[in-house]
Amino acid sequence: MKFNHSPREPVSKPNSQMLRRTLFLMAVCGIFAFVLLLARLYKIQIIDHEFYEQRAMSQQLRENKSSAARGSIYDRRMNPLALSAPVDNLYLSPAEIDSAGEDRELIAKGLSDILNLDYDEVYRKTSETGSYYVTVKRKLSREEADKVRKFKAENNLRGIRLEPDSKRYYPNSSLACHVLGFVGTDNQGLEGIEARYEKALGGTEGRTLRLTNAYGTDLLFKQFEEHCPGEEGLSLVLSIDSGIQYFVEKHLKQAVEDYDIINGAGAIAMDVNTGGILAMASIDGFDPNNFLAVGEKAQKRIDASPQPQAELRTQQLKQWRNKALSDSYEPGSTFKIITLSMALEEGAADLNSTYYCGGNVSVRGRTSPIRCWKDGGHGSQTLTQAVQHSCNAAFVNIGLQIGAERFYDYLEAFGFLEKTGNKDDNLTAKSGIDLSGETGSIFWSENVFCSPKNLSQLAAASFGQTFTISPLQLITAVSACVNGGKLMQPYVVEKMLNEDGSVAFQRNPQQVRRVISEETSAKVRQILEAVVGDPKDGTGKNAAVRGYRIGGKTGTSEKVNLEATTGKKEYIVSFIGFAPADNPEIALLVFLDTPSDKSGVYVSGGQMAAPTVGKMFADILPYMGFVPHFEDDEISEAEVPNLAGMSVSQGENALYGASLRYRVIGDGDSVTAQLPKAGSRIARDSEVIIYAGGTPSENEVTLPELKGMGYDEARDCLAQSGIFVRSLSPLSEGGTQKVVSQSLPAGTAVPKGSVIELMLRDSDRNQLGKY
Amino acid sequence: MRYESVRLAGFPVNAKKEKRGEPDLSFCVLVLILLSMGLLMVLSSSFARAYYDPGKVTGGNGAYFFIRQLIFALAGTFLMFATSKIPMSLYRKYSVHFLVASVILLLLVPFVGTTVNGSRRWLVLPGIRIQPSELAKLAVILSFARLISEKQGKMHSFKEGILPFAGIMALIVGLLMLEPHFSASIIIIAIGGIMLFLGGVNLGWFVSAVLILGSALAVLLIFFPYASERITTWLDPFASSSDEGYQIIQSLYAIGSGGLSGLGFGKSVQKYLYLPEEHNDFIFPVYCEEMGFIGAALLLCLFALLILRGYYIALKCPDRFSFLVSAGITSLLFIQVFLNVGVVTNLLPCTGISLPFFSYGGTALMTELIEMGIILSASRDAVY
Repeated sequence: MKFNHSPREPVSKPNSQMLRRTLFLMAVCGIFAFVLLLARLYKIQIIDHEFYEQRAMSQQLRENKSSAARGSIYDRRMNPLALSAPVDNLYLSPAEIDSAGEDRELIAKGLSDILNLDYDEVYRKTSETGSYYVTVKRKLSREEADKVRKFKAENNLRGIRLEPDSKRYYPNSSLACHVLGFVGTDNQGLEGIEARYEKALGGTEGRTLRLTNAYGTDLLFKQFEEHCPGEEGLSLVLSIDSGIQYFVEKHLKQAVEDYDIINGAGAIAMDVNTGGILAMASIDGFDPNNFLAVGEKAQKRIDASPQPQAELRTQQLKQWRNKALSDSYEPGSTFKIITLSMALEEGAADLNSTYYCGGNVSVRGRTSPIRCWKDGGHGSQTLTQAVQHSCNAAFVNIGLQIGAERFYDYLEAFGFLEKTGNKDDNLTAKSGIDLSGETGSIFWSENVFCSPKNLSQLAAASFGQTFTISPLQLITAVSACVNGGKLMQPYVVEKMLNEDGSVAFQRNPQQVRRVISEETSAKVRQILEAVVGDPKDGTGKNAAVRGYRIGGKTGTSEKVNLEATTGKKEYIVSFIGFAPADNPEIALLVFLDTPSDKSGVYVSGGQMAAPTVGKMFADILPYMGFVPHFEDDEISEAEVPNLAGMSVSQGENALYGASLRYRVIGDGDSVTAQLPKAGSRIARDSEVIIYAGGTPSENEVTLPELKGMGYDEARDCLAQSGIFVRSLSPLSEGGTQKVVSQSLPAGTAVPKGSVIELMLRDSDRNQLGKY
Repeated sequence: MRYESVRLAGFPVNAKKEKRGEPDLSFCVLVLILLSMGLLMVLSSSFARAYYDPGKVTGGNGAYFFIRQLIFALAGTFLMFATSKIPMSLYRKYSVHFLVASVILLLLVPFVGTTVNGSRRWLVLPGIRIQPSELAKLAVILSFARLISEKQGKMHSFKEGILPFAGIMALIVGLLMLEPHFSASIIIIAIGGIMLFLGGVNLGWFVSAVLILGSALAVLLIFFPYASERITTWLDPFASSSDEGYQIIQSLYAIGSGGLSGLGFGKSVQKYLYLPEEHNDFIFPVYCEEMGFIGAALLLCLFALLILRGYYIALKCPDRFSFLVSAGITSLLFIQVFLNVGVVTNLLPCTGISLPFFSYGGTALMTELIEMGIILSASRDAVY
């Protein structure tokens, strides 16, 4: 062995102190320190795990909400009234535009061109580089969204984003707008059914939680995504019938125009047996697709106003107001139906009762006697006649016969008031329909109404004055009077459907209480049919439609408070009808708030509201499937015989036999054509055209305005051009009827031989009055 | 016979005629296991950062950092085996040269160094960046080992046993503070201290050194607001609005959300740009998040085993130089691991210290592997 190392490189083994100190280091650095680190990790990872995990999650998780599909709204025949359609919202991610170095000017130019937006505004949004979400436009149309997608793809822009949203569509525009209401930009219901049934329609929104990187975008590999599915909204099936609603709105609008109605109008159609609302309309309406837009008239007012913004708001609130639900009024004579029902039920009157009207009647507690609308009075009359005449004097007597206590109890039974136990309270009540914004009634307190010393409240209430109720309360109570005596709970939503169409909720019509007996109800129906059906005495005859049995009652209520404060005489004219009169299915209430006296039509329910209801029934009853029954001795029209193959003289004889006149065109011997075609029903004494050689020209005829003409006048006016008429209103004998509407409006071009249906109003001077 | 001769021969330089022993297999395997785990963690932790490419250098290639680290790891492994072949006498012979060279490089740094994050620590040579402080650590170990082994019996005296060493340390620390490089200074002081401890310096000196360093630290904290802010951040990271506070909070989120078993390899969420330095100094939190407490404990056990094995090799070294070098490098490894894990778990105030074999960084990795190679070289002479 040879040692080969210099003395400067001594070979020496580590001494024992070094070994001891190394062992110490092993213990400290190899064991103790690591135990310390492990303890620390244990604290962080095991003991405080949840604390840190939660904090980490809260910065890592992003929540994406997906709104639940809003339920649709259908009418009772499953016609869609409100639907939700998918649309896109457009937003920018300026931070990513910035980081990807995308051309802001290009983006601003492209988007402002496609969406017709202000370039500078969009450019400003692209410059908010601190943000990942800047909304540019919401609810793009499909066409717009497609264009944006194309623009995005063509230029490979990551900073432009589209996110799905949904938009509410009302396919029938303004139809039933007040019942439906509308939704805001976040699809939340703001008015009507949309607001009232927000919970059911809206469902619950779905949420997606996912992990994202610090930029807020997805991780490279999908790791965690938790999806809480939302609940889709329920669809609603309403008791509303689009067809009836359409007819009601159409004629209500026409009435407002024809009679120059100042404060708007309302109408309700109710299924008398269930309480379901078939139609509910108010004027003015709006288009829920664009509920902020106002009509022409309102726009004029806004333009004229010194504060257009405030006026715009006023007009918007006005057009959204569901007058049929939110306006209470003094019902006037229509309320006599209620008084009549009480009297018959209580035996305070029967069909044999007679009443004398001398033009006015004195009542205890009143300084001046109550005047009947007819100067000089109606004389002696039966109960039926008293109703037909809408005689105030008779009804004051009937009311007194009933007595205040019983009258007050019936008011409660009919749902007009709810007793509180305190007889000094002025009382109120609501029908409780499933719509928001219903107004309540206002009645005298029991102590005032039932005071034996002062019967004036009772007397006035007997013919529908000195209290206010809502139109809905009236039609609900009248339905009870004619449906056999059951007060039904009014409603609009009939069913709720799950997404798969299964029924989630089905409403069973609910009887609140029985108010009068079947027998009483039958008598009420009989009397009210006489009001409409009697072409001589019935004050409601302008509501009559030939072939149908209709009952009803007029109303003309003066705004007493307004007259007391301002001296202005203003009226609400109304009519409530039901059909068929023997077995009613539908009740219809129309009220026109403040007709001006410039329309040329006498301001009363009988002259304005009754024809309107008549026109509605003329459309609605056939639509509902009721077949008209014409009585044998019908005098107003004739059926055109078939003249084909006859000689001219044979044809002339046949027409003569059918109570029709004729005119021959051509000089042949046999009939080659006829106008109108065989089987047509046209006005009696119309001039049928016989072609003896040749055929009628194909030229169409433009219809003239017939409104205001007498029936014969209209008939002869049109006969010149080969157009024929028939009346849907029964004809009265005096020839005092005037045309109020024609089935096709003036200006329509129709082929020769067409038959135009007319509605007539009897404006017999003797019968004009505020009833 | 072979053992006998080795024991007598002492130095491998004599082994020209005799075959050197095999390097320590356990130590070698532990290093390679840790290196492999570290590479996988670089891939996992850096992927998102490389993919999103905020600095626009990776070209969106998620494996960018991994591939570079892999190349350095392969080169480093080669260097490790190469250095394990070099006889210890050679290290001994050139240890002082190495120290001088390191000091010169440190001197150059303030003049030609590259500044990163406000500190000038790097020398950029064509194709490679080197951090002279890394070299200085090894230089201190090698030169101290040589000096101590030559001064046997005199280490307890102040003049011989402390003054020259303290002078070298003061010089190096002084240069490091110019950069400034706080963490490297601490490591130099710690490793120097451990070398002297092993060398046999009286424990009393250590007590005084701790007192002196303590007061120096106090002065430092008062006059360097940069440092004192770190202390307040350390005490309550959630109350701090500093970057370090944010970093520590994100680190704790990562470690804490790992829980017992972790989110699974590659499934860290914090690495998605929440946690800064996620593939460098803060790679351990990503590992904890993905592998959980179980994985973290396993990793710490591996490190502990490696450290224990390193000391074990040192104990078996036939001469003082090899012993001191092995124990010194092992201690350096320990210091790095302990400081890194201590910092990311907020056990210690925040300072930038990489985790050996794990943190991304070519020079650091290669230096570490060279150091391991030196231990392996020493292990060849070890007598069990």
